[in-house]
Amino acid sequence: MALPQIDSLKTPDASLSRAASPRRGRLPLINLPFVAIIVLLVGYGLLVCWSSIEGSNDTTYSFTRQLIFAAVGAIVMMLMWRVDYQRFANAVMPLFILNIALILSPHIPGIGTDAGMGAQSWLKLGIQVQPGEFAKITIILMDAALVARYGGHLDDLREYLKVVFFILVPFLAIMTQPDLGTGLVYLAIGAMALVAGGARSKYLLITLALGIAAIAAVFAIDQLIYNSTGEYKLLKQYQRNRLLVFLDQDGSNTSSSGYNLQQAKIAIGSGGLFGKGLLNATQSGHGFLPEAQTDFIFCVLAEQFGFVGSMALLALYGALIYVSMRIARNSNDLFGTLIVMCVVGMWLFQILENIGMDCGLMPITGIPLPFVSYGSTGMIMSFMALGLIGSVWRGSNIDKKKEGRL
Amino acid sequence: MLVAIIAAVVAALVAAAIIVAVLSVRNRTKTPYANSGKKEVQQLSTVGVGSSGGFTRGKGTSFRPESDVQVKSGHANSKKPADSLKGRFTGVSIFSVAVFGTLAAKLWSMQILSSEDYANKAASNLYTTVSTPAPRGYIYDADGIALVKNRSSQTVLADADVVDDHDVVARLSAVLGIPQAIVRQRIQSTTAGAQSQRVVASDVRLRDVAFIAEHSDAFSGVTVETRTVRDYPFGALCAHALGYTGTPSEDQVSNAPSNRDIQLTDDVGKSGIESAYDNLLAGDHGQRVVTVDAQGNVVDVVSETKATRGSDVYLTIKGSVQYAADEALASLIAPGDGVIGTGKGVGGAVVAMDVRDGSIIALSSYPTFDPTNWVGGLSTEANNVYNSDSAHAPLQNRVTAGLYAAASTFKPFTGLAGLEYGFAEGRSWDCTGKWDGFNTGSPQWCWNHNGHGYLDFRGGIVNSCDVVFYDIAKNFFYASKSQGGNLSDTAIQEMVQRFDFGKKAGIDIGGEVEGLVPTPEWKATRWRNVPANATWTGGDYTNMIIGQGDVQVTPIQVAAAYGGIATGKIMKPHLLKEVRNASGQTVVSYEPEVVTEPDVDQRYLEIVRDALRGVVTENEGIASLFAESGIKAAGKTGTAEHTDKGDDAWFVCYAPYDDPKYVVATVIEQGGGGSAVAAPVGAKVMEAVMAADAGSNDASSMGRIAGSSGRQIEGFSTKSASRSD
Repeated sequence: MALPQIDSLKTPDASLSRAASPRRGRLPLINLPFVAIIVLLVGYGLLVCWSSIEGSNDTTYSFTRQLIFAAVGAIVMMLMWRVDYQRFANAVMPLFILNIALILSPHIPGIGTDAGMGAQSWLKLGIQVQPGEFAKITIILMDAALVARYGGHLDDLREYLKVVFFILVPFLAIMTQPDLGTGLVYLAIGAMALVAGGARSKYLLITLALGIAAIAAVFAIDQLIYNSTGEYKLLKQYQRNRLLVFLDQDGSNTSSSGYNLQQAKIAIGSGGLFGKGLLNATQSGHGFLPEAQTDFIFCVLAEQFGFVGSMALLALYGALIYVSMRIARNSNDLFGTLIVMCVVGMWLFQILENIGMDCGLMPITGIPLPFVSYGSTGMIMSFMALGLIGSVWRGSNIDKKKEGRL
Repeated sequence: MLVAIIAAVVAALVAAAIIVAVLSVRNRTKTPYANSGKKEVQQLSTVGVGSSGGFTRGKGTSFRPESDVQVKSGHANSKKPADSLKGRFTGVSIFSVAVFGTLAAKLWSMQILSSEDYANKAASNLYTTVSTPAPRGYIYDADGIALVKNRSSQTVLADADVVDDHDVVARLSAVLGIPQAIVRQRIQSTTAGAQSQRVVASDVRLRDVAFIAEHSDAFSGVTVETRTVRDYPFGALCAHALGYTGTPSEDQVSNAPSNRDIQLTDDVGKSGIESAYDNLLAGDHGQRVVTVDAQGNVVDVVSETKATRGSDVYLTIKGSVQYAADEALASLIAPGDGVIGTGKGVGGAVVAMDVRDGSIIALSSYPTFDPTNWVGGLSTEANNVYNSDSAHAPLQNRVTAGLYAAASTFKPFTGLAGLEYGFAEGRSWDCTGKWDGFNTGSPQWCWNHNGHGYLDFRGGIVNSCDVVFYDIAKNFFYASKSQGGNLSDTAIQEMVQRFDFGKKAGIDIGGEVEGLVPTPEWKATRWRNVPANATWTGGDYTNMIIGQGDVQVTPIQVAAAYGGIATGKIMKPHLLKEVRNASGQTVVSYEPEVVTEPDVDQRYLEIVRDALRGVVTENEGIASLFAESGIKAAGKTGTAEHTDKGDDAWFVCYAPYDDPKYVVATVIEQGGGGSAVAAPVGAKVMEAVMAADAGSNDASSMGRIAGSSGRQIEGFSTKSASRSD
């Protein structure tokens, strides 16, 4: 019975801001600190991406392609900046359906492909795209819209479970590909929506406990399956290896994951304080570091620019998250706040997981580093996330204008 | 230290920036409410969530009207929907700081604290020290004629798994002109050792090598190397003394001496001089520090120290004498295209030694092998030929490891025993061709069934009369302690052993065997399971005294022992003359070594020497062999009889008889009679020895010696009808 009540409360608020959207007079077009950080971050990311491609003999990567997609991404960002995010406030169900369609689309015979990577995650549409990556945007919108309806008070257990259900379904859908890394990002987005959206702490803690229990159960059941059939069915061997490597980092694990982690750590550690210099990364340049342009690109940065360069990247990410949280904080409606917070949650998780796995703090998962990793879909997706934040920022400014404070 | 401080400062700055950022977020969320009376309620509604289940439901409803009021009031200057969630914002901020703080701390520990460790690992990834093979030293004869040299060879190698790649095998076969089955066989072959890469072909034409290099995509797993390999200008000449090289065994690599670095790809000595002086011949590896990529491809050479060639070894061998010996054996035993059976005998050995210092002038064994076959790894085909039964063991060095009955060449030594114990001097014998001194009813024959007539001891040696020695043996038998006499049961053996029979001569290459001087004790052990045969009988005496029965000697022992008769001293036989380092300085010179001076009365030695001189001068056939050269030789023939195969022919001689310099021992397996078969070879070699002594040793008199074909004529047998020494 809580839901209709909240809707009735929020709708007038939303209609107010929508009514205000027709432009009256000059509005600030850009948020200067936000854009400055974006320019620096994207520039830094492109430099690292270029050096990782230039420094190696691998001809499968093209920096020009990355540059084109950065430009495309920037245009998409500007377009989304202009879009009124409020349009999606009530579109939970359409967004949900869109999500599931996107995530399952690589299973369509003919256009879906595993791109030789083992997971059915790509679509062949002239160029290869990863719809699961784009679904991060629609999941952000869906999760934000879903939780925003409760106006910061998700106290009812049934409603809470309903929200959790909506958050879990895309995760389960992407596990059919399977792509655990992207699935975990979905969960991170959902978790942030729940936390920032004011779900009851008790529920959150119980959910966390149940999540840990579920992971343990997966391992336990897998072990039982192994005991009876002689092979693991739930977790794939590479997933087991990644976990074993994470738990035992002294380098005795000889699987490819063990090798990857060893080489990643050597690349980072050997960078030292100031690094080996641009294009002098021997670990990636001589091919010791696998996936140097994509998942392990942070190692290329850390090896070339050392601790100082690593800190510079962390500082830029920190600044981006700080500025984003300020925009979230100043949004005139909870939907806008949650959109931005979900993006922040996504970034935090990707940064923690990607850099963390490089230095052995997290198990290895295939998650790109925002604005740095090579990849067209990831680049455009990152810019779209910026566009969403820009849209929220713009929305709050329009309201300010309307209120005569500018 | 400075680095750590700077890093700490940077980390502190980042941390401070993040903390300031968080605090400012908090402040912004706080300030608007500083003067608001609703603060307590706000905190209760957020922070207090979940603290008490009963309270929350009521609180939730109490909050909602407030936000309703805010929106409607229209002057929510700083009132934002997120205000009610500032606790959550703080939580997220703290989480963010924790994430960045943890990452920064971990990076600080990796990039600053443990940086050196990781840098070392990166360097060990990147730099590889490759050792470059060092060329082996050359092997020369006594006068500087190179017997073993080096040359470069283009070698095509393939990884072991290439055998499964049908396309690559087919292409290799087409380019190299080798049948596919052979290519496959060579890739599968492990005879070259435990290397991962197998030799497909050596001495490949440059054209073909270039083709493979240019089309490396089509030849994955195939590499081409320029290797320095052994070169044998005279083929199989002196093969048994020189030996051959090959890749080291795992054992050789792991048990290498401390001053020696043996790698699996090295060429190491496997037999003969190559093996005995391997540490001198092997050079020092060069070291090349290279940067490599993850696939192990060399990207760049960082630094290089050149390999140094091994020392050169000079042998006591004289090339021309060696050639004469090798050639004499080959043309005697297998004159027809190297097929055994086209001549006389199935194998043979000649050794020529300087009796004054033990220098080996020639060491020849037939059938022989061509060490060239081991260059780049012994092929399965060659391996099969050399090890087949019909090949008569070409790899065996018959000079040091061939065991033969000494036959009549034993008589001077057993005769010395007879002289010492008074059973020979001043006596005479009547040889009727047969002898039955033990009255067994089945007489023993002299080799000359017609009989020699009346003979003294000297005549016994000159004519090699067996009856004379049977009778001496009978005297020993009856005088022995076991027969109630007072002579040792091994009185004859003791004399023979004074000349070091039954003991390794001590030549400086491996594989030497001891031979056997049978004694009653030995016989008892040998036949311990057949007591009927275990007793030392009179027949054992008569067999042993003529070098038959269980007597086993090697040609090198015979040569050394005759040196002992000629000079009164037995020298240690050796092949090494000197070692010169890469700059040509002599670093090692062989010092002659006296093994023993047999304790024999000089007078008796003179009697034997005189008799040996008589053998050469008084037997027409032998005298004629030395007539042309005018060499004043002394010597002894021998014919070892076997019940199951042909006779082995022996001839030992030293010269000049009055100033002994050289001894030549010759044996022809299943060749027939000593004087007819072995003596011509021995005389010819002695002629070459004396010519070389006069200074005529040069390469122009030498030629290439072919390895044995390993073939033998079908049904060939050299069982000789009668003996004639």
